[in-house]
Amino acid sequence: MDKIELLSPAGDLERLKVTLLYGADAVYIGGEKYSLRANADNFTLSQIREGCSFAHKLGKRVHLTLNIVFHNEDMDGVFEYISQVVDAGIDAFIVSDPFIISYIKTKFPKVEVHLSTQNSTSNYKAIQYFEREGVDRVVLARELSKKQIEEIVKKVDTDIEVFIHGAMCTCFSGRCALSNYVTNRDANRGGCAQVCRFVFENPGKKDFTMALKDMNMAEYIKDLIEIGVTSLKVEGRMRSLYYLATVIGTYREIIDSYYTNTLTEEKMNLFQQRLDRVANRETSTHYFMKNADYTDQYYTGRAEKSNQDYLGQVISYDGTLLKFYERNYFEVGDLIEVFTPNGEHISFVLERMYDSEKNPVNVARHPDAVYYLEYAFECDIPEYSMIKIVKRKEILGKI
Amino acid sequence: MKLLIECSKKDSSLFDMSDGIILPLKGFSVESVCYFTYEEIKNIVETSKVEVFVKMNKNFMNEEIDSLTDMLKKLNSLGIKGIFFYDLAILELKKELSLTIDLVWNQTHMVNNYKTCDYYYSKGVQYALLGKEITLEEIKEICLRSQVSSMVEVVSRPSVAFSRRSLIHNYYCDLGESGPSELVISEKVSNEKYHLIEDENGTTFFLDTVTNGTSVLSELYSIGVDYIIMREYGLENIFHDLVLDTMNYINDGCKDNKYILKYKKLGDSTNFFFKKTIYKVRKNG
Repeated sequence: MDKIELLSPAGDLERLKVTLLYGADAVYIGGEKYSLRANADNFTLSQIREGCSFAHKLGKRVHLTLNIVFHNEDMDGVFEYISQVVDAGIDAFIVSDPFIISYIKTKFPKVEVHLSTQNSTSNYKAIQYFEREGVDRVVLARELSKKQIEEIVKKVDTDIEVFIHGAMCTCFSGRCALSNYVTNRDANRGGCAQVCRFVFENPGKKDFTMALKDMNMAEYIKDLIEIGVTSLKVEGRMRSLYYLATVIGTYREIIDSYYTNTLTEEKMNLFQQRLDRVANRETSTHYFMKNADYTDQYYTGRAEKSNQDYLGQVISYDGTLLKFYERNYFEVGDLIEVFTPNGEHISFVLERMYDSEKNPVNVARHPDAVYYLEYAFECDIPEYSMIKIVKRKEILGKI
Repeated sequence: MKLLIECSKKDSSLFDMSDGIILPLKGFSVESVCYFTYEEIKNIVETSKVEVFVKMNKNFMNEEIDSLTDMLKKLNSLGIKGIFFYDLAILELKKELSLTIDLVWNQTHMVNNYKTCDYYYSKGVQYALLGKEITLEEIKEICLRSQVSSMVEVVSRPSVAFSRRSLIHNYYCDLGESGPSELVISEKVSNEKYHLIEDENGTTFFLDTVTNGTSVLSELYSIGVDYIIMREYGLENIFHDLVLDTMNYINDGCKDNKYILKYKKLGDSTNFFFKKTIYKVRKNG
């Protein structure tokens, strides 16, 4: 059995590297044009080349989103751009426009084309159409149940990719122009203003909202593997390094534990806790096991959490001192955890910390500043390991 | 240029007034307010003198493919002019079943460029209902450069989004009440109103503001648009006269300015005909 692919978003080159180090098998990125995240940092051609080179050395893959809904003017230059990114080493395009699909498969038959979820493909018959067009993979609509996904996998030869984690659209992807009408920002060309998270007035009643909880499919990874899905996709090209490290690292462990038959209930609880801690919204599995209903939406006050768990990003470790960039306030006496791209999680009470000049300090309070902490780790702590809070000193004192 | 109408009620007095009618097929279409059964459509086709198009613009699920297949076979021999489709399952089935019926590419917000129109034309799709979020200049370019027969929605309360979810029901569930199946909500900053209508297929968002494209008809006529579409929903009081006057206006070569002056009363929203959407709001960092 081929191992299922874990596919991560990457908003920039650093996130591409980090997420691959944390266990993604492939990343999807946006170029400077034609991607549905027009306002993300996105990748220049030279960054795409560097990202592909980095990924390929690890035996991993890079997919490029080319999934806007094209207007006439967007066709200018697109062929040249496709040629340039193929030359840069892209392994697959994620496309929604069938004309572009046909063009790529004709000109570059060795490059994979994946049908974007923007098409909201929801049945096997539509997939059979795209199979004949040479599409290598279809990213399914997020409105499907386990049974429906299972039937699709059985009835088509194309690889199937499903979303497993992250923010959700309220409407069928591609079938929503609320952003165009409310803000004049083109939803299908990368300008979506996320109007489905706005608050609307319903005179005489409580305000009307329709925002969805995020998706979290951790508990059903086993099912998706056994159904025969090819790729598990995490949403969030604009998410932080810490978020990606945590989410991708956790799903990596879930998948690996499944294949080594070590996915115990106790481990699953731990994995779920990690994912819950990094989430800024409540989560749901939406249509997977039932028809989605009001419990999948925010009607009871939508309080998005600002996550303060992320304390620092490791620069290096010399055997005694761990050098890092601070991200959020913490202090000596806090119970902290360092986790690594290799899947190590080390918790300890912080006893000694130093500023960039190696003067002893009790608190780290300057985000982005360099600090050191002293601890004798028994394993390698590579660059891009992360530091997070487990319990604050004042809470520990009360225990 | 021909006029197609979509009615908001099963009012046969309107059916023979235009060049053609669009009939949303119950259970197979969304983003409309009045749906027709197969038997009703069959009866209309048999009695009407105008072109009949059937709308089947739903995203289908696996379990609906068999009934979709059966329905397409039945419609193929009914003598209708064409089928509006969103889901590519319909295009696949047309090929598999060797259906002779014409299709209208109707992927609501996606029909935006001439090359993709021609792609579908090369796959046997005769018509394309152009997106409502493109400009008149873009429409013009598509008409000039594409082989597909073009359709443009010119007067309507436009449908702007569709969700599979029961958004109104869910909202009232949270309030602990049983609610209606329709709701009017206002966006707080723009004060723009939206009409939500929910049925067993999901929830449709209609913009409250009517798009009044009567002033662009002469230009659409001159650039060779094949069909214009007017939808009755929200315009019930005026629709009969509007259809009659529009037919006369077109038959007269779109020259009579009194028509444009008369229908200024529909409001001054020309939707995106003269307004370009933006999508880049910050430079790359």
